[in-house]
Amino acid sequence: MSNRSMLSVVVPLYNEEESVGALVDAVREALGIERAWELVLVDDGSRDRTAAVARDLAARDDRVRLVELARNYGQTQAMQAGFDAARGDTVVSMDGDLQNDPADIPSLAAKLEEGYDLVAGYRLRRQDKLITRKVPSWVANRLIRAITGVQIRDNGCSLKAYRRSTLQHLHLYSDMHRFLPAVAAATTGARITEVPVRHHARRFGQSKYGLSRILKILADLLTITMIAWFRERPIVMFGLGAAGAFAAGIAFLAGSFAAAAELRESMANAYVFPAAALLCFMLACYLLMLGLIGEVAVWKAREREHLLPNVVERPL
Amino acid sequence: MTARPYDVGGRAYDVTVVVPVVERPVALDALYIEFSAPLREAGYTFEFVFVAYPWFRHLTQALSALRARGEPVRLLEVAQSAGETTLLKVAAASCRSPILVTLPAYLQTTPAVLPELVAKVEGGADLAVACRSARRDALVNRMQNRVLHLLVGRLAGGRLHDVACGVRAMRTELVSEVPLYGDFARFLPLLALREGQATEEVPAAVHPKAMRGRIYAPGVYLRRLIDVLGLFFLLKFTDKPLRFFGLIGSAIAGIGVIILLTVAIQRFGGQGLADRPVLLLGVLLITLGVQSVALGLIGEMIVHLSASQQKRYRLRRSSPPAHPDAA
Repeated sequence: MSNRSMLSVVVPLYNEEESVGALVDAVREALGIERAWELVLVDDGSRDRTAAVARDLAARDDRVRLVELARNYGQTQAMQAGFDAARGDTVVSMDGDLQNDPADIPSLAAKLEEGYDLVAGYRLRRQDKLITRKVPSWVANRLIRAITGVQIRDNGCSLKAYRRSTLQHLHLYSDMHRFLPAVAAATTGARITEVPVRHHARRFGQSKYGLSRILKILADLLTITMIAWFRERPIVMFGLGAAGAFAAGIAFLAGSFAAAAELRESMANAYVFPAAALLCFMLACYLLMLGLIGEVAVWKAREREHLLPNVVERPL
Repeated sequence: MTARPYDVGGRAYDVTVVVPVVERPVALDALYIEFSAPLREAGYTFEFVFVAYPWFRHLTQALSALRARGEPVRLLEVAQSAGETTLLKVAAASCRSPILVTLPAYLQTTPAVLPELVAKVEGGADLAVACRSARRDALVNRMQNRVLHLLVGRLAGGRLHDVACGVRAMRTELVSEVPLYGDFARFLPLLALREGQATEEVPAAVHPKAMRGRIYAPGVYLRRLIDVLGLFFLLKFTDKPLRFFGLIGSAIAGIGVIILLTVAIQRFGGQGLADRPVLLLGVLLITLGVQSVALGLIGEMIVHLSASQQKRYRLRRSSPPAHPDAA
């Protein structure tokens, strides 16, 4: 049973024993007593005393709740667990390391009320290392914007507000939390906007990211693109690839005729072009067949669900 | 809970010992007598469930005599040649106790470890695995074993040392909570760890009559190795197949692109294309790479389409209960 006007703040925690107390205080101060709210702390299998500290805090204030995961699943699953546990109509997600400021939550929630499904924060004057954090982040955001078409400046900022109806259709896996706005836009047609938020330097603990993210982000972007454009018709995507391979094959064939005309005396060597053409044709066939397998997968999934994909009723 | 098709009613037990009669079984009545003794001594009520293929009837006949003497023994026959995983699931479905113990139908450890394993599960572990120390085995076997365990140990993050030991105790529900199919029952502890189930090891002595000096055919280990590699892929990349296929594919295609670029540059330098077999290699590598990436995309599509079907995390506890109104 969801409370109509309740606000849920979801915070994944991984080894944040020093931060969690201050975090709860800051949220309490930011949200006050004017509206009903709850704070859902998700302990993502921390190795330090985070769970114990959080359990203590939850016991003292029944607006604070704790969800403990059985092991360390990563931020995406921690957020999903928090979303599943959240009972509010408006859900706000936030980092547990105090780099986001809970004082920004009301402005995000207010923006959502204006008729958006997802409000993303973007960090003004970001307090992080330039080379290892800001530069990769700039590149990644550029890529994400260009490929997904969702104009969000700062996909890496965890401070976001969502309508419950949007979250209900999102099933996060892998590292999807980073592309949440793009996924929401692709799968539910969410109306998305952004507001500036504050950003503080890390006070406690270790950053949990590294440079190896870029490669993973590239793979994930390819996935998101596919989901955004081809989730219902994979044969179209693979068909396009097949058409490309077929064209390359034709080009090689044309080359083989040209070469045959040129190299009249050394025809023995002209096998290279026809063979390359054959390889390309083979790739085209292969891609077409994969596309058919994709169609089978979509068909089977739709059969299982017995419903139209992700319909959201908009308040008018 | 899943339906329990074989439930014959009657009282429940503390422990159900499941014996999959799969490979090189010993005399089952002797096995029962030897391994039920320590459980009885420790004061547990129990039942032995033997799950066997029909072609082991010459062995399972001995169970009728036990049954006639009033021993708590049951026999389930699985008609088709189902894998060990299926046998385990069948047995779990008919299990009438909170704790399930698996015991291979051949001798691995001394019986004394059974009550210790059960006590671990009673003490809060989800799964307790016997860990055989000082294995006496043929040298070839030990070496093959070492390679296998090095791989498996890495998968388990060093938390398990004898994954292959079939003597295990667990909460009965665990069998339905951990995704199991094919031959993966063998690797149950690894999968349980991945599900966040509290998994512990109990040191055990090797059974004095355990067969020594038997040399497995290399094929057996090859199969295991393929199993482990499959498991490695599943554990690391089930939710992100494109990370795996995409990396391999782009590396292969990358080499192909470099070859083609080199050839193209040399073409403008005046060297002909038609008599360069290396061009073929370049095209071949690119097609291979594209195929790999395409396969990864199909994988991602399947993952995405099934994302709404399952929860991918397990809770240890939550306060207050996540859905108080859903109870």
